Amino acid sequence: MELPPRVVNYLQDEFLSQARPFCFLIDEEYRLIEQWGYAGWCGLAGIEPAMDMRGPAPFLAGIPLTEVLELEFVETPGRVVVNVHVIPDGTQSYIVLLDTRHVHASIQTRQQSVNELRLMRASQDKLIDRQRDLISDLVETRSELDHHRRETERISANKSRFIAMMSHEFRTPLASIVNYAELAAEENSSSNDVQKSIETISRSAKHLTSLVEAVLDDASLDAGQLELREYDFDILRLFHDVASMMAPMAAEKGLSFATFVHPDMPARVHADEVRLRQVLINLLGNAVKYTVDGGVKLTATYDDGRLMATVSDTGPGISMDNQERVFEAFERGAGKGEKGAGLGLTITLRLVELMRGEVSLDSMPGEGCTVSVHVPVMAAEDGPVTRQEILPTPSDDTIAAKPLSVLICDDDVDMIALVEHYLHRSGYGLITSFDSSEAIAKALKYDPDLVLMDCNVPGVGGVAAAKVLRDRGYAKPIVALTASKLDDEQKSAFTRFFRKPAPMQELLSEIKRLTH
Amino acid sequence: MTPVTSKVCVVGDFAVGKTSVTERFVNNQFSGKYLSTVGVKIDTKEIELPALGVAQKLVIWDVAGSDEFGPTEFAYLRGASGYIFVADGTRPATVAVVEHLYSQIIKRYGPAPFVLLVNKKDLSQEWSVSDEYLDALTDAFGHVYRTSAKTGDDVEQAITRLAELIVDNDLRSA
Repeated sequence: MELPPRVVNYLQDEFLSQARPFCFLIDEEYRLIEQWGYAGWCGLAGIEPAMDMRGPAPFLAGIPLTEVLELEFVETPGRVVVNVHVIPDGTQSYIVLLDTRHVHASIQTRQQSVNELRLMRASQDKLIDRQRDLISDLVETRSELDHHRRETERISANKSRFIAMMSHEFRTPLASIVNYAELAAEENSSSNDVQKSIETISRSAKHLTSLVEAVLDDASLDAGQLELREYDFDILRLFHDVASMMAPMAAEKGLSFATFVHPDMPARVHADEVRLRQVLINLLGNAVKYTVDGGVKLTATYDDGRLMATVSDTGPGISMDNQERVFEAFERGAGKGEKGAGLGLTITLRLVELMRGEVSLDSMPGEGCTVSVHVPVMAAEDGPVTRQEILPTPSDDTIAAKPLSVLICDDDVDMIALVEHYLHRSGYGLITSFDSSEAIAKALKYDPDLVLMDCNVPGVGGVAAAKVLRDRGYAKPIVALTASKLDDEQKSAFTRFFRKPAPMQELLSEIKRLTH
Repeated sequence: MTPVTSKVCVVGDFAVGKTSVTERFVNNQFSGKYLSTVGVKIDTKEIELPALGVAQKLVIWDVAGSDEFGPTEFAYLRGASGYIFVADGTRPATVAVVEHLYSQIIKRYGPAPFVLLVNKKDLSQEWSVSDEYLDALTDAFGHVYRTSAKTGDDVEQAITRLAELIVDNDLRSA
């Protein structure tokens, strides 16, 4: 169908009134040649021939005039929205501007809604992600809290069990000591009864001491206060001592006991003898304690500066679940009815770690248990005698060679009586004091050959008393005999330091050595 | 001194602050109200580049936000001497869009000077683009600025830097 001129004219009028076309012709230098239509609506009123059109119509800047180009919805600096058509014609170009304000406004409204919706969705997604992260954190935190709570409950239960058990463990030897002491004190006790009572009291006291030492060791390790004291010593002697101690215990239970020390083991090593001994006794003691049939074996090898001690038994074994726990404080693997603080393996592990070593455990239920300790240990040359070796052997060495006097200061009557008993028997004269200030006065007045001083005593205290005595010219030995722990500076106030309960023979030997 | 006229196009995803950055640079103004751009808005500003001893008239084409260019957008970019890429520091995806648009432009029109503005620096609580990512972008693209159209932080510096890059480029081409 061909449109009649009337319709064509109508459409033309309609287009012209809507689009308000403005057309201008420019040369290749963008200079205006001529124009057609009304320029006022698009901010180009006042343009003149030869004018560079890139000024009033900046959208022309950079536009190549070599091909037909349409730019939709161009908002000019005068805030008019136009469609720009570039129509090259030889060296000239027609630029046609059409008014698109109405269409632009309508699209802008729609676009605005769509973009706001997209922004809202992005923001929502972000919130959901955040919420998901928070929930995940919450679940994780809760799981950690549950874990900590269960751990705390388990530790608390262990501690409660420990307190109950220790209460029993402490009371049992204490009851023996009290009861047998009363028995020995009875007038009609036979000498045999007294001897038996003393043996029982001594055994119970030793057991009590070992319990207290275990608890204190554990506390010291907890506080990081335990330090190694390394020196050269005879390690073969150590194995021999430990085996001599354990073999009778094994024999009592009808168990075999064997010790194998590899020929490459050096005779002397540089290490902490006391703590190494403690580790071996703990491991062997446990093995003997929990083994009912069969035996216990200690194997010791030495290779490239590392000592490996392996304790194997034919006991009940330890399940995988319990293998980590047996090294935790107050856990007693199969310890139903067994004696002890439940600290042996904990202390063993921590002592070995202190020695920069490792402990490994290999066990299956019903198939016994093997615990291996690896510690770096330096082999020592045959050198100066060890600290242990300079200790005089007990017996006559403790007897004073000439009449000597010792001042003892302690607020514990029983301790004074005990020391007095031994010192009298060894031929020493005694001066006693319950107060450190009084002890200073007595020492300066009577000038004893040695002062034996407790630290936690009334008056200025033992450490201060020793310092005062030194300041006032007392030059003879001052020996500390105390249950208190002293730091190096405090120890320096004394000639020697003994921790209660000190082996009496060792104390007496040292007193004799210092007074001669 | 007759200024050199250069066409620069501001491009990036929607609502990253292209119009706000332009408004801050041209008129030193900021409006917090979001008004989406349809088509392209054209503004001009003359600046002096004392270091180079020239004045420059920048004709700035603020192109409607898009994550993918089609024929309409490419028509707007014809004859551009440089580009201002804008991303939103609170929406990391918009930085990825910039990377994509950059590769589209390079493919279509070849390399040209540009700067990247990671905008909305003032929204520090919501800022989600890591420093490591921005450092990597700086290593890869060179001229990356953390800007705020709201406070004006680094907007003028970034666009002035682009103007210098364009002059340098023009001198090299000549």
